Amino acid sequence: MFSLENITDSSQKWLYATFNSTIALVLQCVIVMLLVISLFAVLGLVLVLMERKVAARMQIRLGPNRVGPKGMLQTAADTLKLMMKEGLTPDGADKFLFNLAPFVVMIAGMLIMAPIAFAKGFQIWDINIGVLYVSAVSSVSVIGILMAGWASNNKYSLLGAMRSGAQIVSYELSAGFSIVSIVVLAGSLQMSDIIASQQTGWWLFRGHIPAIIAFVIFIIAVTAETNRAPFDLAEAESELTAGFHTEYSGMKFALFFLAEYINIFIVCAIGATLFLGGWMPLHVGHWKGFNHVMDYIPSSLWFLGKTFFLIFLIMWFRWTFPRLRVDQLLSLEWKYLLPISMFNLLLITLIAIMGWHF
Amino acid sequence: MAFLKQYISEIYQAVSSLLKGMKTTGSYFVRPKEIITQQYPDNRADMKIPERFRGEVVMTHDENNEHACTGCTACELACPNATIKIVTKFDTTPEGKKKKALDTFVYHLELCTMCNLCVEACPTSAIKMAQTFEHSVYDRSQLLKKLNKPGSKLRAGVE
Amino acid sequence: MNASQIIFYLISAFVLGTAVLAVTTRKIFRSAIWLLFSLVGVAGLYFWMQVEFVAAVQIIVYVGGVVVLIIFSIFLTHHSGSELPKTPLKQTIFSMLAVLLGFAFSYNLIAKHGFPTTSDKPFVVPVSAIGEQMLDTKQHGFVLPFEVVSMLLLAAMIGCIVIAMRSMPKGKTIQKQASPINGNGKTQDLPVPTKTMEEETT
Repeated sequence: MFSLENITDSSQKWLYATFNSTIALVLQCVIVMLLVISLFAVLGLVLVLMERKVAARMQIRLGPNRVGPKGMLQTAADTLKLMMKEGLTPDGADKFLFNLAPFVVMIAGMLIMAPIAFAKGFQIWDINIGVLYVSAVSSVSVIGILMAGWASNNKYSLLGAMRSGAQIVSYELSAGFSIVSIVVLAGSLQMSDIIASQQTGWWLFRGHIPAIIAFVIFIIAVTAETNRAPFDLAEAESELTAGFHTEYSGMKFALFFLAEYINIFIVCAIGATLFLGGWMPLHVGHWKGFNHVMDYIPSSLWFLGKTFFLIFLIMWFRWTFPRLRVDQLLSLEWKYLLPISMFNLLLITLIAIMGWHF
Repeated sequence: MAFLKQYISEIYQAVSSLLKGMKTTGSYFVRPKEIITQQYPDNRADMKIPERFRGEVVMTHDENNEHACTGCTACELACPNATIKIVTKFDTTPEGKKKKALDTFVYHLELCTMCNLCVEACPTSAIKMAQTFEHSVYDRSQLLKKLNKPGSKLRAGVE
Repeated sequence: MNASQIIFYLISAFVLGTAVLAVTTRKIFRSAIWLLFSLVGVAGLYFWMQVEFVAAVQIIVYVGGVVVLIIFSIFLTHHSGSELPKTPLKQTIFSMLAVLLGFAFSYNLIAKHGFPTTSDKPFVVPVSAIGEQMLDTKQHGFVLPFEVVSMLLLAAMIGCIVIAMRSMPKGKTIQKQASPINGNGKTQDLPVPTKTMEEETT
């Protein structure tokens, strides 16, 4: 059976047998880095195309259909165009910070990749504080956005950055609460433990209604945290031209654009891991035959399927809902999501203590 | 207590209305047959143009090269941006009376906004809106059109 | 010198270098960013020492909280884009003296006691142990300080609410602001423009 675990194991064995341990470690780091970068590139191409196709279908359009078969190469052509464009730095900008900001956002995205389990035994770093690490590092990307907004020396950028900062700082709370509620159920922060705890069923189904509420709040909060519509006030085209990346062009803009999609992938991967069992196949109670068939599907496909389902859900939001105003955005968080998620956390704790979950 | 009731009902209504919106877009997503995009230069042969599309003003001529325009200039007066200019002449009827008639119907396509007011103003339904739309030419003078065909005359019985 | 030591010195140099830049740069926003890098470097040091929990808390509290607040307050101040004036010589001398004094003090302490080298492996602290210790009532338990800190935070939160609350004029109730999200998830009371089009054009 196809398994990524065998590949990683055998390559590690070969590396340690051929070189001494320091060089092998360095080589491993290089391989992981190359893999992450190529994953980023592929994800950028695929997700942008997927977004445009999904948007077109929802708006009764065809979407990109000229470059390549059914427009499949459209994003590749766009990337080529962006690479050939001039990366302009405005005169009045703080040049060092202006050029640094896209990389800060990108590096934050790369760091969060570390604890995500892509398949059974295929994980970069199974750190013991897993989800805490994720929520810690994801707060770095807001610094990149604030940096970009300030260094551009542009009113729109500054306003967009401030909106984005206020938004991310406030929605981090309810996203954190929903993550904590699953941590309470699973009893561990480590990604592999959380996935292992869902062997008999995904937390979304096992945790009764509170788990579903936590899932809904998580999805809303991460949509806001990734600055996507209906929460895209930070780059509201009609008000702020493009928000914090108004002054960026060429490859520097592409990095911001890519980081947006990478962040979507990451939050959806975290959501799939916490609520939908990561790479765990779907098992239903005592249906032995059904469970056996499900086990035959490779774990990496399970993970990618769940993640892309959540990504589709977030795209669905984007192409359905109108943008919120700033005051609506903040009152949604502080008056609705936060109290509900706090109350919900109490309920989940009660369920976990009494052992009421399935 | 009333506050709590209102709070919960607000959330319920918000969620249900959001779901309603998602149902609409979702239903379009699963029905690709509804896509209305016309792949224009590729499907020139079987293109569907909506009935109400207005391309340019034309004058209808029947098989005897006769039109229904009496040269009353109602369309010229109705036109908001002087697109139409009617040149009249005087015909002599068999009884020997002089009668006003159309000489040239000058139409500036480059000024026309396709507002349809001239067609509505016409008392004899002599002009109508055609559905042609590929109007681009290399010289502006080519957009100046003469709508009545050469040698055409007023259909008998149209006053 | 092995690889581990090299990494340690690299991180330390990064922390110190960015810290020096943070106090010497004359652009206030850059100063905040250098401070951020310094704090991230400290978190990296914690990761290097394999105390991941402390490292994550360092990032959450300092990077996600403190530096973001600092940046926000910079954004909200006037003239924060212009360069700061040069520090007068007197101030420079005194701050140098203070730094030297602090350095001498810590160096003295380290020289007296030193860092005892251990052959122990890096300690592993599961997060659950930290949580249990935090709420432990027995010896070496931290429940009292934990509760005291919670009281302090509660007081701070109540203080914030009191400050943020609009003072109510006597005999008048505050006009109830309709919540912006009503049942339809749409705006309930969009601000009605007081001017009409005609008024604006005339």
